[in-house]
Amino acid sequence: MKSLFTGRIIRTQRLSPSSHLVVFERPRGFPEVAPGQFVALRITSTITPLLRRPFSIMDLTGTELHLLVKVVGKGSDILAHSPCGAEMDIAGPLGGTAFPSPGKKDAVFVAGGTGLAPMIFAARTWKRDRSLGRAALVYGAGCEEELLVSLCEEDFAAVHLATIDGSCGFEGDAVALLEKLVEEGKAGGGMLYSCGPAGMVRAMERKAAAGFARHLTSLESVMACGVGACRGCTVPVKTDGGTVLRTICGDGTVFDASEIDWERWEE
Amino acid sequence: MNRRSLETEIGEVTLRNPVLLASGPAGYGLEYEGLVDLERIGGVVTKTISFESREGNPGKRLHETGGGLLNSIGLENVGAEVFFSEKIPALVDAGIKPVVSLAAEDWENYRMLLDATAGTDGVDIIELNLSCPNVERGGMAVGTNPELLAKYVRHAKDTLPGMTVLAKLTPNVGDIAALALAAEEAGADGITAINTVIGMDIDLAAGRPVFKRIRAGLSGPAIMPIALDAVWRISRTVDIPVVGVGGITSVEDAMKFFMAGAAAIQVGTAVFYDPVLPEKIIEALEETGMPGPLGDCNRMKGAG
Repeated sequence: MKSLFTGRIIRTQRLSPSSHLVVFERPRGFPEVAPGQFVALRITSTITPLLRRPFSIMDLTGTELHLLVKVVGKGSDILAHSPCGAEMDIAGPLGGTAFPSPGKKDAVFVAGGTGLAPMIFAARTWKRDRSLGRAALVYGAGCEEELLVSLCEEDFAAVHLATIDGSCGFEGDAVALLEKLVEEGKAGGGMLYSCGPAGMVRAMERKAAAGFARHLTSLESVMACGVGACRGCTVPVKTDGGTVLRTICGDGTVFDASEIDWERWEE
Repeated sequence: MNRRSLETEIGEVTLRNPVLLASGPAGYGLEYEGLVDLERIGGVVTKTISFESREGNPGKRLHETGGGLLNSIGLENVGAEVFFSEKIPALVDAGIKPVVSLAAEDWENYRMLLDATAGTDGVDIIELNLSCPNVERGGMAVGTNPELLAKYVRHAKDTLPGMTVLAKLTPNVGDIAALALAAEEAGADGITAINTVIGMDIDLAAGRPVFKRIRAGLSGPAIMPIALDAVWRISRTVDIPVVGVGGITSVEDAMKFFMAGAAAIQVGTAVFYDPVLPEKIIEALEETGMPGPLGDCNRMKGAG
């Protein structure tokens, strides 16, 4: 059950020019969470920024809550540069659905930008409960210095890196790299998990996802309520009764990517 | 310490206290379980419903501005049938007081919506959304025209005997007090003020407006002085209770609305980031009592 908690920052680490690891002490009573769930932080006690900011959970241990924060505006900037000991109001865990585990199937995780966070949490969670078999990560960023390689070295059997400028690994984006791996027979057949910009997930669904049993994605969006009330972050989902709008915050964040009505969705 | 009773009468209804969740942000209420103590607050003004379900607007729907939030949700809702058969019973079962927000769409749909509302158990107070800026038909057109507004209010009173009817007004007019007076004369039991203020923003990088519909509704602390002024002027014009809403972000803000003449208040956008604010306001009111309305003292002269 979601609730309000006070979180205290115990560690921050600059991982790249734009990305930071922010570690909170796990608040007392904070429940177990499932991969794909998120928290919404009230960054300041003032009205600037006004809304809470949603962050995927990158890890939750007995004592720590890990968030991956990319500085994209005022809220993320304040959070990334908060001092140790700073306290923040945390609403969570939020999100009504989570990634199902791959069971005995192979798993390929595709991450774009901060979409890396829930991919890492899924891999770690399933490794801990021994429900993860062979797992590979396909991960892209703009350039080498924005690739957070140190974060993902230990959680996957194989890591395939892509950079747009070709400064590290495959030259291109994560989707193009995934397509190449599928063509070469190095990936496919099992479960496909993804998190990143909608354009990335859409491009995966257009081609590469056909090589997998199922494609599950955790969608990102600007949010206001975080609980499915305000209908600010809807996505069209195909059902037997036609296309219906679901909220990313309340009905998601995890969706079967093949069920999203990509033609109708205008992010 | 003796806690004061905060029971508040509006029309035929007695609310346990005068602090409500505003329509829109509140959703259908139960979404906030775990974050808001829903049984403690005076009531939940549910998301505006129309007779038929509505998908709302395509594209981006939320955009934060300085001290505010622009929204272009477009009255997405489940429609009357699902609302009255599923959402209302769930709220009532959970001990939550619903105030049902109804869309004033075109006349035919409005009539059918009122007919669907008639006889629903657990509903004794409605709020007519006469002022949504985010839809093509009805809404603003009704809420900015005194004769049309009066016609809609009168029809609600005629169709739903014994129902307490609040008319929610838009600030996007020259004289909101005149519209309040028209609603009162048509039989409204109370006035809710204000709905969102029309605004827009531009995506510089994309070189186009942020929203597909270009104009959207602004809420949040940026609009509080506008709302406070509206409540002040309306409460000096009509004799029915005024429910103040618009940008309340603190206990102090709520106190100002009561002093401006509000009989009750609603918290909207602030619930997104401070879900316990309604409870904090209730606690403060229990401790200090309701602040009395400002009189027309000398210092106030020239203000109204």
